[in-house]
Amino acid sequence: MRLMRENPSLLIGGSIIATVVAFAVFSPWLSPYDVETMNMTNRFAWPSAAHWLGTDNFGRDLWTRMAEGARVSVLIAVSSVAIAVFVGTIVGLVTGYFGGWIDLLVMRVVDVFLGFPPIILALAIIAALGPGAQNLVLSLAAVFWTEYARVVRAVTLAQREVDYVAAARAIGSSHARILIVEILPNVIGPVIVLATLGLGTAIIAESGLSFLGFGVEPPTPTWGWTLSFGTRYLRTEPWLSIVAGLAIMITVLGFNLFGDGLRDYLDPRGVARKVKRDVS
Amino acid sequence: MRFGSALFGAAAVLAAAIASPAPSVAEVIRLGADVDAGTLDPRVQRDTTAYRVNNLLYDGLVQLDADLKPVPSLAVGWENPEPTVWIFRLRDGVKFHDGSDFSAEDVVYTFETILDPELKARFRSLYTPIAKIEAVDRLTVRIELSEPYAPLLSYMDLGIVPKAYVEGGGDLSNKPIGTGPMKLASWARGSKIVLEPFADYWGGMPKADGFEFVVVADNTSRAQAFEAGDLDIIQSPLSPQDIQRLGAMDDIGKSIMGGVGITYLNFNTAAEPLDDPAMRRALAMLVDQDTITNAIYEGVDQVATSILLPSSWAYTDTIKQPGFDPAGAKAALADLGWTDSDGDGVLDKDGKPLTIEISTHSEDPNRIQAVEFIQATFKQNGIDATVSIADWPAFFPSVQGGKYQIALLGWLNIVDPDRLMFAQFGTGAGQNYGKYSNPRVDTLLQTGRSSLDRAKRIEAYREAATIITEEVPYYVISYQGYQVFYGKDVALEPDVRGMMRSAVGF
Amino acid sequence: MSPPVYPAGSLVAKPRLRSNTMLAYTARRLALFVPMIAGIVIVTFGIMLLLPGDPAIVLLGEDASPEALVEIRTALGLDRPWYVRLAAYFAGLIQGDMGRSIFQNQPVADAIGARVGATLELALLALAIAIVLGITLGVAAALWRGTLVDTAAMLFAQLGVSMPVFWLGILMMLLFAVKLGWLPSIGRGEPLVEALGAAATGRFGPLLGAISHLAMPALTLGLNSAAVISRLVRSTMLETLSQDFIRTAHAKGLQVTRVILVHGLRNALLPIVSVIGLRFGALLGGAVLTENIFGWPGLGQLAVAAISQRDIPLVQGIVLSFALMFATVNLIVDLLYTVIDPRIRLE
Repeated sequence: MRLMRENPSLLIGGSIIATVVAFAVFSPWLSPYDVETMNMTNRFAWPSAAHWLGTDNFGRDLWTRMAEGARVSVLIAVSSVAIAVFVGTIVGLVTGYFGGWIDLLVMRVVDVFLGFPPIILALAIIAALGPGAQNLVLSLAAVFWTEYARVVRAVTLAQREVDYVAAARAIGSSHARILIVEILPNVIGPVIVLATLGLGTAIIAESGLSFLGFGVEPPTPTWGWTLSFGTRYLRTEPWLSIVAGLAIMITVLGFNLFGDGLRDYLDPRGVARKVKRDVS
Repeated sequence: MRFGSALFGAAAVLAAAIASPAPSVAEVIRLGADVDAGTLDPRVQRDTTAYRVNNLLYDGLVQLDADLKPVPSLAVGWENPEPTVWIFRLRDGVKFHDGSDFSAEDVVYTFETILDPELKARFRSLYTPIAKIEAVDRLTVRIELSEPYAPLLSYMDLGIVPKAYVEGGGDLSNKPIGTGPMKLASWARGSKIVLEPFADYWGGMPKADGFEFVVVADNTSRAQAFEAGDLDIIQSPLSPQDIQRLGAMDDIGKSIMGGVGITYLNFNTAAEPLDDPAMRRALAMLVDQDTITNAIYEGVDQVATSILLPSSWAYTDTIKQPGFDPAGAKAALADLGWTDSDGDGVLDKDGKPLTIEISTHSEDPNRIQAVEFIQATFKQNGIDATVSIADWPAFFPSVQGGKYQIALLGWLNIVDPDRLMFAQFGTGAGQNYGKYSNPRVDTLLQTGRSSLDRAKRIEAYREAATIITEEVPYYVISYQGYQVFYGKDVALEPDVRGMMRSAVGF
Repeated sequence: MSPPVYPAGSLVAKPRLRSNTMLAYTARRLALFVPMIAGIVIVTFGIMLLLPGDPAIVLLGEDASPEALVEIRTALGLDRPWYVRLAAYFAGLIQGDMGRSIFQNQPVADAIGARVGATLELALLALAIAIVLGITLGVAAALWRGTLVDTAAMLFAQLGVSMPVFWLGILMMLLFAVKLGWLPSIGRGEPLVEALGAAATGRFGPLLGAISHLAMPALTLGLNSAAVISRLVRSTMLETLSQDFIRTAHAKGLQVTRVILVHGLRNALLPIVSVIGLRFGALLGGAVLTENIFGWPGLGQLAVAAISQRDIPLVQGIVLSFALMFATVNLIVDLLYTVIDPRIRLE
């Protein structure tokens, strides 16, 4: 209750995420339906006792599809952000700590990636690699990594000058030790905040790419595909679009609230927000 | 031309008060196009928008009427003294948009240049049987063919371009000059093509003050723009769900008819296990045409029975493809040795499971749905089917290179059976991606192409269609419908090819 | 004591500013455009090389015969090795020639020139909407902190960044164009600049047309940024309002609203300007989806078409234009910093 008063964002966001995860994980025990089995005589059904969320364009149970979609979409988001965090953190630590020509060079590469409109970069990469969840993950990671590189570099730059780092250097600690023991802990906060917000962005990006025809191949039921597909039926069968749109909106809201809530503890200066980009 | 109010209420009143006398309703017709034209040079046109804009900007020697029958246009008449010789008599007193006179030289120039590989004309192959074309006098053109070529007249609707203008450096792609009823007023790339009436048109003054092709890429957006009154005409391609809704609207003009296209499965007859006609036939029995056509395409297309189109003179309903029959398919597959011997739900033979990949391109959501549905049906019947979807430039080379098993594709503009069969089923022919080969079919298609006797052609095409129905290099899922919706004050006589001449009075 | 962190630009707060340093700084930043452009050309070229299929396939469509494909590839120069093509592109670029678009049938520069105005117009209006809406909501939320106004404004902000843009766009179109018939659903009126010119001479029709076409796409595009700005304004305002000089102003008996607006907002301006630069980049990127929904004839729509047609020179040109616009805006933002806050010095 105290948390509710002090940091409602964290609590509400966390609850939403927990619900989505529970939905994704436990749904196979709740639903008697198979993800791929079609029933063409019962297309676009509204919610009923038999189908809690109705059915889709092939008469498949939408609850089951959305639960499977939650697994796929969240997994895509988590994987792409994880790759971006890994690459971005290493790049940011190295460039920020060593500075000099390596910093100059790598920051030019970052400039190049920032120059691309994010969705164009993602779209071109997925077109080059071919459709599929793995390639989607790679294309999103290619867009996201610069954010982490910039945040980590900025924090590292600042930490490098701090007394205790100078002291560690004076007593002859190795670079690796200073980076991991002294600097990395300071980086973790903003990175976690940025990553949480990034999960929401990834889910939205997946839907935008699906809308432009560059998503994951059917019959994999990602939320983005369901939404972009459902939107084509908005006038006659709005249900599909509404369910998928709300699912995306609520989940992204959850990640955003949770990220903002975390910021109060982990990134009080708001470093993460400043480099955050949209992919929409 | 609006039939819905498109301005915001209060502001509209304000605007009317500010603007001088209320503008009279302009007779400008606005058509929603799915793509922008790439070029307005009819010789190198590629997309349907160019095809339709050029139909208003240019005249061909003939026009195709609503029944796809060639009728006089720039040619007032023609004769065919020998099977390989055609003589066209041209209309006198015709002017191009730049005021110059039309003559036989322009016709000769148009065909000579389209046949030149340098021009990179997409439809060059339609005209390659032309061995020689010459101007006999100012108003007579003589064409000599290398072999008898029956479909020639159907392709003579190609727009005639002004020789002097093009040779003088005129940029036909961007600044088109034709003899057609409308001429180009402006072209905002990617946005709209604005045409205005050509006062000196030989057929008289057009009955519209203007004609705009407005580009709206998204099918749903285009349908909504029509409902909102921002467009006067929209036509295929449209989403089936929009067609259903628009079809129920009152006070608009609409036409939903059998078109000149097909949606079909292309079987790679060179790839295991599809190299056996019996296998192809068995798989075809698992294609639920009825559900695809009536549920996914929501009945705007027609269930196909054979390779011959109902709009064609060669059509007959006596030739029938196998049809949906899972039990029959199971028996046929068992005859071929494919049974579920290990009880895993997947058919197998010699210890190997039956796997099939079905592919299509990502631009068309209905084709994706059809492929997804066929995959599900295959799976239910024990075939380990997978789906592969990529965008057109990635997908098509794999088909052309024979790296596919079953591909879902379509053909358009089939104004003559030759157009759907000669290059597709002839041994080694250009578009025979599945490497189908049958000497009898080769002979029949040659007969159909070269015979000028309609009855003989019909006989040849029907026999070929019967063989194709049995050997299944293609399985035709549906005859594509053509849909057009238009404001009730547009005087449109719908044409299956989506041409708009009737809307401007011709 | 660690120096403040400004990851958005290469700025470090140090006292005083001299005007010649500003020039030198601008020159140095402009010099950095060169490696960026080179990098973008190479990365774009690399991706396009990896793309399966080529323009010849798209040009010929389903009628493509192998011989015709070979002919066209030769004519387009696609048969040359990749490094020759890349070198040729750079050679042209140095002379200001971006090549010829294969599908637009005109020079890339012309194709972009015809479209860039539409995209800038859309992005700028969206930015204006985002700033006005964002500041209004942010100030309101800060003034009435903890009340229903605050909650409503911040809920709006959270929802604004949680909605897929294309979904929002299509829902809006459904409501305002189809159901209510208030706004045109697609396309562009006259260019806004020309419409304003006409309005200056007393003709308001074109302006009305231009604005009515712009309204929905600009709102769709701007809402996301409005949400981001409103949250930033709120938190900066709250921070400023708690500071001493505001309390002093209070004590001096100055009017509360005046204090908030004059002192609070001025202090909030700096972070707002920095975020606006980033938002403009986001808006240019966001235009890709928005333009495709509303049939807006800008660069975003062209970019998607060019990629799906494998129109390599055009893709190169569009990506370069976006990058240059983005980099220029960031440079302007960094320079603006010094104008707003003379305490900041350029490094």
